[in-house]
Amino acid sequence: MRGLVIPSLLVILWEAGSRAGLLPPDSTSRPSEIVRAFVQALADGSLLRDTWLTFEAALLGFAIAGVLGILLGAILGLSPRTERTVGPSIEALRPIPAVALIPLALLVFGFGLRMEAAVVAFAAVWPVLLVTVSAVRGVEPRLLELSRSLELSFPAQLRKIILPAAFARIAVGLRLALAISLVVAVTVEIVLNPRGLGHSMISAQQAMRSDLMYAQLLWLGFVGWALNKVAQR
Amino acid sequence: MIAARRVGVSFGDRPVLAEVSFDVAAGQFLCIVGPSGCGKTTLLRALAGLVAPTGGEIVVDGKPVRGPARSRAIVFQDYTKALLPWRTVAGNVALGLEACGVPEPRRGERVQQLLAKMGLAHCAGHYPSQLSGGMQQRVQIARALGQDPQLLLMDEPFGALDAITRQGLQDEVARIAAEQKTTVVFITHDLEEAIYLGDQVIVLASNPGRIAERITVDIPRPRAQLETREDERFLDYRHRLFGLLKH
Amino acid sequence: MKRALPAVVFAAALIGLWQVAAELRLINPIFFPSPGRTFAELYMQVTSGRLWQPLAATALRMLYGWALACVLGIALGAAIGTSRGAREYLEPLLDFLRPLPASAIIPVAILFLGLSPAMSTAVIAFGSLWPVLLAAVHGFKSTEPQLVELCETLEMRRGEVLAKVALPGALPDILSGVRVSLAIALILAVVTEMQASLPGLGQNILLAQRSFRSPELYAGIVVLGLIGFAVNHGLLVAERRLLRWRAASA
Repeated sequence: MRGLVIPSLLVILWEAGSRAGLLPPDSTSRPSEIVRAFVQALADGSLLRDTWLTFEAALLGFAIAGVLGILLGAILGLSPRTERTVGPSIEALRPIPAVALIPLALLVFGFGLRMEAAVVAFAAVWPVLLVTVSAVRGVEPRLLELSRSLELSFPAQLRKIILPAAFARIAVGLRLALAISLVVAVTVEIVLNPRGLGHSMISAQQAMRSDLMYAQLLWLGFVGWALNKVAQR
Repeated sequence: MIAARRVGVSFGDRPVLAEVSFDVAAGQFLCIVGPSGCGKTTLLRALAGLVAPTGGEIVVDGKPVRGPARSRAIVFQDYTKALLPWRTVAGNVALGLEACGVPEPRRGERVQQLLAKMGLAHCAGHYPSQLSGGMQQRVQIARALGQDPQLLLMDEPFGALDAITRQGLQDEVARIAAEQKTTVVFITHDLEEAIYLGDQVIVLASNPGRIAERITVDIPRPRAQLETREDERFLDYRHRLFGLLKH
Repeated sequence: MKRALPAVVFAAALIGLWQVAAELRLINPIFFPSPGRTFAELYMQVTSGRLWQPLAATALRMLYGWALACVLGIALGAAIGTSRGAREYLEPLLDFLRPLPASAIIPVAILFLGLSPAMSTAVIAFGSLWPVLLAAVHGFKSTEPQLVELCETLEMRRGEVLAKVALPGALPDILSGVRVSLAIALILAVVTEMQASLPGLGQNILLAQRSFRSPELYAGIVVLGLIGFAVNHGLLVAERRLLRWRAASA
């Protein structure tokens, strides 16, 4: 439990320092007020509503990225010829930072869920795509020989051997994509999309409600941490 | 040169070594043999100062061993974890000299000398991962020699090598030790290697490690792989000690 | 070069199709301007020199924050990674902070520093710190124990051990963290520019969107993609040189 020592110390110093008037109240708030703001935001439903809105966009984008990534990845992985032809054009898009697409998404979709999900999907598709391609490629020769020697029909091969074998590795990519989805969703909300936790944090900052802002920040940290733990099941 | 008095080492309440006492004269070659797990590596590490004895004392050159020192160079068994993979062969050999504070250009000269002595001159610019196991051990030995050690401690250095490489290195180590008049403590599980190389051979029994037998090898130097191993005295020692290693 | 042919043909075909579709108004030219117009816009920006200032602004912002983060990250990583005690006290905290979106620090930074270049630098440095720091901690704590013992037998001073053994050993981890850091630095540079209306490529594409000048928007995206590619590639080359001992093997 040594890990709790420093955080606890920081909290105590923060509270004490704030009460002693050593810290500027508007920008630093204090732990006791943050807790109060947190409890209130929880009670009036705003925290959970914002969380849900952020998750909605993140999960929608994640789902799109997942389906697209696995489909495209499987095709490119199974057919080297297709990969050679189509691959480079797709690769050319990878270095583009997803946030650069925020204005474009805004142009096409306007504010709201779709625009955010679109940016999330672009960011999250890459880990899924890359991992699927290598996972499918990795399955092809060896296990296919094995499944052939077991005299299974092709659909059965796919279902019983290829996909399960590939899925373990694909899952790693999906886990990374999920984390990316949350981060990108929050980022889009902070920059300009008026929905979700990110936007609420900016609103709190603009209203000089630093206590609420910190409460939301810590909640976001907790949510991200919990999501990671769940994804590692 | 070395005086070990009733040395004992325990990890927790498990005794690994108990009441080990022996003497090594300066310039002597001591081989320690024993079955796996008998504590011979622990004894070597105690001599190096990497492990503090829980009982007894080790005195080297009149001073008690209180910790590691440059004058007691160690050659580890696992050469893959004893060489810096990001430095070339020359760089690795230089490490010992750098630690001893030898400045350029003397350092560069010494490195060349050591490389030549260990037959490494042709691969000075290679990385350890590009060399065979035998060559990597030569690099380790070269680095250890670069420390100008009073005492050379070797922990089963040839255990992972093939027979031919092992024999070549055995002769090299014997030759260098004789030339430099270095005191050597050499750990091995190979009885024949121990008798071939040593002036003195100590057999350790296990659980806990203690001296089962000690002999002085009365075979003159220089020794030869073929002739010495067929020598009557060699075979006699072998017979005497063979049974002690069965465990 | 023969192998590259199908890819080139495919890409050319895609662009050609897009061009035709745009000219025939099959797709909305506001949302999807033709490649021709985008390229013309890009060409004009390059030749008129209008590209360089925002490009430099974004690039410098990114590099400055990233460099700060790397220095701090490696130094702190060395301190934490080599000290078992420090790790026990700090690792759970680092574990918790790792999944936190770097952009979430923006509202906090605005509160303290306003919508200013200082806010941008702080956010970029803070956000890019984590990948390097975590990688450095991991790299330093994974120093081969027997090498440390070797250093003890050589009676090397702590600083020597750090510089000659711990740091080179941690370098592969550190370099991969540095690469991730740079990607994050670029993202945060763009984001903070959009947020605080600071001059740069991020602000340009946002303004282009507001005025519906889509060729400019697309041109900006292309340039940002090129920057992303160039810096990542540059780091890969540097990595390969610094770690050339890894590639060499029997």
